[in-house]
Amino acid sequence: MFDRDTEGVRIELRSLTKHYPGQPAPAVDDVTLDIPAGELVVLVGPSGCGKTTTMKMINRLVEPSSGEIRIGGQDVLGLNPDQLRRHIGYAIQQVGLFPHQTVAQNIGLVPKLLGWSADRINARVEELLSLVSLEPSLFRDRYPRQLSGGQQQRVGVARALAADPPVMLMDEPFGATDPITREHLQNEFARLQKQLRKTIIFVTHDFEEAIKLGDRIAILRERSHIAQYDTPAAILAAPADDYVAGFIGQDGTLKRLALLSVADVTPALPPDTRLPQVSADASLREALDLMLSHGTDKCSSPTGVLTYASLCEAVGAPAEAVVSGDR
Amino acid sequence: MSFGEYVVSRWDTLSLAAAEHAMVVAIAMAVATAVGVLIGLLFYDSPRARGGAIAASAAVLTVPSLALLTLLIPITGLGWGSTLVALTAYAFLPIIRNTVTGLRGLDAATVEAGRGMGLSRTRVLLQVQLPLAWPLILTGVRVSAQMLIGIAAIAAFVDGPGLGTQIFEGLSRLGSVNSLNATLAGTLGIVVVAILFDLFFFAVSRLTTPRGLRVRS
Ligand SMILES: Nc1ncnc2c1ncn2[C@@H]1O[C@H](COP(=O)(O)OP(=O)(O)O)[C@@H](O)[C@H]1O
Ligand SMILES: [Mg+2]
Repeated sequence: MFDRDTEGVRIELRSLTKHYPGQPAPAVDDVTLDIPAGELVVLVGPSGCGKTTTMKMINRLVEPSSGEIRIGGQDVLGLNPDQLRRHIGYAIQQVGLFPHQTVAQNIGLVPKLLGWSADRINARVEELLSLVSLEPSLFRDRYPRQLSGGQQQRVGVARALAADPPVMLMDEPFGATDPITREHLQNEFARLQKQLRKTIIFVTHDFEEAIKLGDRIAILRERSHIAQYDTPAAILAAPADDYVAGFIGQDGTLKRLALLSVADVTPALPPDTRLPQVSADASLREALDLMLSHGTDKCSSPTGVLTYASLCEAVGAPAEAVVSGDR
Repeated sequence: MSFGEYVVSRWDTLSLAAAEHAMVVAIAMAVATAVGVLIGLLFYDSPRARGGAIAASAAVLTVPSLALLTLLIPITGLGWGSTLVALTAYAFLPIIRNTVTGLRGLDAATVEAGRGMGLSRTRVLLQVQLPLAWPLILTGVRVSAQMLIGIAAIAAFVDGPGLGTQIFEGLSRLGSVNSLNATLAGTLGIVVVAILFDLFFFAVSRLTTPRGLRVRS
């Protein structure tokens, strides 16, 4: 359907507007947004700002009032909506698994619609269950009511990935789980996307989740107006205005440290085994935490010694003041 | 003649009447289920259409059966015709109402997920909504059937089939030999037919309720 079949393709929204009948103002007003191929873009904003409406226009569950949508160069509004949706993965907060079908039947639904052979569907179901960390032999024949909330969300993601679509739309897909399960699902999903490189539009009202998962973040105001659209690091480093700054909160610098890993920093000295030890793939935030808890301004990793000054430098703060100011 | 001797001596008449009773209810139920579920599927999503269908089927139920049967005689005549028409008309309300309630009561996310994956509206209705609403629809059908088994006794009034003839015979010859036996045989026969229908529906419900809806977490 799109020019590339499974790897990400570019999505372009042009002056996209939705005015629900009987509403005084449009829910989405003149949104223009480019989503590069293979990137995960998070739409983040307060409840009711039009995130879901914007997303649902892309698979035409909501018909735009005006504007254009192009996926991989194709004009989406000229396609048959049912055909289109079979090539766009869709996962939502409430999951919406079919309770009368087994996990395998739920996952195999779109491949079946696309005419895959039974053997190919079976193999794909096994592959996807393993991918979302559910043991196929244990889970394929279960029914949704026999799964926990977190397991249902995993199956929901597997189902959205089933036909290996180039584009995925995800509307708060981990929203309905407890914080621990949620964090676990986010980490797994981030790892998954590193391999898959789909083009993903991910909706959330949770800024932490946006920073964690997004290659880029679009911070939305009411009516889906874009307040800032950039990489997490760029948004944290230079919020466009007070609205964005409000979203980031008081600990923007800590959040930036969390985005950088120990390996990103050039070490000041060779590794030193007498200092507190941190792993090379830990975040700078974890490194700082370690220093604070040991009351030192240094720690060491397999790549070398990390100082408080180098952390300051990493977030672009004037390091001299700390190094020279012997307070 | 004792009741037992009565039943033995009239076994052929009684069993034929019981079979006819079951038959007329079964035919009326088959028609009403097919039409009622179809009406539910077509109208459940439109407030005006579903309201109209439910109001109309409820209105029919308020007409006393004796009156309805009498009014039908000029059109469908005496016997099976009028009986079938009246019974079918009475069966609609529980079937249509439960179909509408079942289809509307589903989790909206299930339907949205189906549409979002590229199932057409018809496919979602037939492959997702209908199976999920089925247990409730079947309950409506079962209620209708129990109701019709009782109402069908009155069909004897228009010379219709069934066990009602026994009951009316007893009533019209009250005090004479066997009048009580006839009424009792008719009544017990209806109870037996009702039990058999219920067993049938129990089996159907076990066989047709999707397994995923019966499992416990
Ligand atoms: N089907 C609809 N009909 C009318 N108004 C709607 C509909 N869906 C959403 N809205 C309105 O549009 C606005 C944006 O909603 P939504 O896109 O769901 O926001 P979000 O996902 O950011 O919470 C809200 O004010 C909501 O009330
Ligand atoms: Mg929403």
